[in-house]
Amino acid sequence: LSMVRHQPEGLDQLQAQTQFTRKELQSLYRGFKNECPSGLVDEETFKTIYSQFFPQGDATRYAHFLFNAFDIDRNGSIRFVDFVLGLSVLLRGSVTEKLRWAFNLYDINKDGYITKEEMLEIMTSIYDMMGRYTLPSVRDDSPFEHVEKFFQKMDRNRDGVVTIDEFIETCQKDENIMASMQLFENVI
Amino acid sequence: MAAGVAAWLPFARAAAIGWMPVASTPMPIPPQDKRKAQDGFIILNVSGTKFQTWRTTLERYPDTLLGSTERDFFFHEETSEYFFDRDPDIFRHILNFYRTGKLHYPRQECISAYDEELAFFGIIPEIIGDCCYEEYKDRRRENAERLQDDEEMDMNNDVAPLNLTFREYLWRAFENPHTSTLALVFYYVTGFFIAISVMANVVETVPCGTLPNRSKEVSCGDRYALAFFCLDTACVMIFTVEYLLRLIAAPSRCKFMKSVMSVIDVVAIMPYYIGLVMTDNDQVSGAFVTLRVFRVFRIFKFSRHSAGLRILGYTLKSCASELGFLLFSLTMAIIIFATVMFYAEKGSTATKFTSIPAAFWYTIVTMTTLGYGDMVPKTIVGKVFGSICSLSGVLVIALPVPVIVSNFSRIYHQSQRAEKRRAQRASKEAGKALVGKSASPPFESQHHHLLHCLEKTTNHEFVDEQTFQANCMEISVVNKSGSRTSSLSSSPHGLSSCCSRRHRKKSSFSLPSTNNQELSTIQIRERPVSNSRSSLNAKLDETVPLKCDEAYISPSMVRLSAPVATSSDDASTATTTYSQSNIVRVSAL
Repeated sequence: LSMVRHQPEGLDQLQAQTQFTRKELQSLYRGFKNECPSGLVDEETFKTIYSQFFPQGDATRYAHFLFNAFDIDRNGSIRFVDFVLGLSVLLRGSVTEKLRWAFNLYDINKDGYITKEEMLEIMTSIYDMMGRYTLPSVRDDSPFEHVEKFFQKMDRNRDGVVTIDEFIETCQKDENIMASMQLFENVI
Repeated sequence: MAAGVAAWLPFARAAAIGWMPVASTPMPIPPQDKRKAQDGFIILNVSGTKFQTWRTTLERYPDTLLGSTERDFFFHEETSEYFFDRDPDIFRHILNFYRTGKLHYPRQECISAYDEELAFFGIIPEIIGDCCYEEYKDRRRENAERLQDDEEMDMNNDVAPLNLTFREYLWRAFENPHTSTLALVFYYVTGFFIAISVMANVVETVPCGTLPNRSKEVSCGDRYALAFFCLDTACVMIFTVEYLLRLIAAPSRCKFMKSVMSVIDVVAIMPYYIGLVMTDNDQVSGAFVTLRVFRVFRIFKFSRHSAGLRILGYTLKSCASELGFLLFSLTMAIIIFATVMFYAEKGSTATKFTSIPAAFWYTIVTMTTLGYGDMVPKTIVGKVFGSICSLSGVLVIALPVPVIVSNFSRIYHQSQRAEKRRAQRASKEAGKALVGKSASPPFESQHHHLLHCLEKTTNHEFVDEQTFQANCMEISVVNKSGSRTSSLSSSPHGLSSCCSRRHRKKSSFSLPSTNNQELSTIQIRERPVSNSRSSLNAKLDETVPLKCDEAYISPSMVRLSAPVATSSDDASTATTTYSQSNIVRVSAL
């Protein structure tokens, strides 16, 4: 139980850095502060919160990747500014920015390439969130097959990795993906 | 789900963008938020004390007075605030419930006042947080008991209602002597005769001086045999009459006959009757004498007259395992030391330790620090082990006994509390199931949309355990008959049946999707099936999302009717006509 307390930067600074309005930032901060009075979210709390939305499966692994995607400076905790910057990209960013964010999520070691192993880990964690009781039931190789499909689609030059450009290019050509990127515009 | 976690839902939904590039199937349309959250203040004036909070805070719980339009009835136009003529101290806790999602019970408040306030504001007490729930339930129980006692006392003071049958009247008279004078008289008479009978049994064995023609002392029982016999007969007659009357009056005869008190009654009077039957037979008269021992059980009849005795019996019963363990460890120690002493004393001459069972007596007397001295070890080894025996006796006996006593007291209270907590938990779960601790309908529909997106990403669906297992068996069957798929697609009425069958049909459609064909075309084919899951009038060409929100049970049965319809209204023109009772899936929220 650490007594670390973190204060975010001023409202004006955050407004400049993100695409949220003042009121939205205020409302976001109030919710954030309510849940995390210390001003920081550590990984365990993050996993607990995220797991509550997926009661049937195990969301901890995916929450781990998500945590790393939000924790940009890799210091083990998400501050409000990280939180709000991430949300700004997801909710108010351009499609390219969102795709970059997704790429960053998949690229576990942040080296600029998505390998099959990384994708398999991500895919397994997503399937883990489904839990045991699914229809049809998740087979052991379901994530693997899914990864194969993904690479077939995305890996243009068949070199076994997906680069950011291949990723963005392929996604921009896919209507479904483009449409679904706009899905959560009005969440806040 | 706590209101706080609901605040993170927008974040979770935003993060779902991470699934989009890998999704197998197109995403469902999100539910529309009809109204943007107008985040204004609401001023609540409770008997002069002003409370202010955000509008959205109150609307987290739309089933309560403050969260719904019911509060409009209390709106005071001139001051533009909501006025409630209630207790502001208790209101503080109620408002905190909205803020934090946890309802606390203040210990200094009167339980009935608190209950009234909760009832007024439409909050169900079962959602009181774990920190205060036990206290609340205890106070409530005490209150209820007090009320009940008051009622009983009133009842007892009243004249007995005339519509009781004679049998019920009799039973009531037996169980509660204060109901009428006759019952009281009967109570005291039986008590008196129990005492007389016990005293007679005792005095009967006292030596009463010598008979003129004999030299040795005779007991009073033999000297005044006739008198004692008459006394015994009278007592037994009274007890028999009492037992028969109780048997007649008992509401449930079998239960009565199995109860402890009736067994004691029977055991108390049996020896007399057996004696009557057997007096002439010399061989069994010895056994008859032993039977008289059972007459002492009459003293247990006093437990009807004494509540303390009953409580003692109950506590011994509840402490039985501890006592049993003490007995067991004692037995172990006794056997060990008796064996040791026997072999130690084997060598010495004219020893009293003739066998190990004979040594038991020595061990028990020594370990309980009685030390009668009728058996003492003579050899050095025997004395050494004898002293070890008495020292360990002090430890074995003296130490556990206080521990047992305190253990017993602690366990007794704890078992009371555990029972209480179990009962409380059961009623708490029931209460929770009855009312939403869950958040507002928009939250629910958004959460379900999120889960639905996950389903679409992985191209699997959430189901509950039963359907899953039913399917595991079905899949093997369906796998064999591929021709069923086409017939199933064309029968709409089959899809309107209960969800379990719907899901079985769904499994057959999943077979084509596992082929690595173009995912989009499969989805179009699957659409009609999924649409009809939500309504009977679905248009097949609409790429309308599944409103399988409804398929997830939210723990709130209060919201069965309205919100579902509103959430799916704009999303699909089809009406959600299936009944809520066909819910298959369960969300734990």
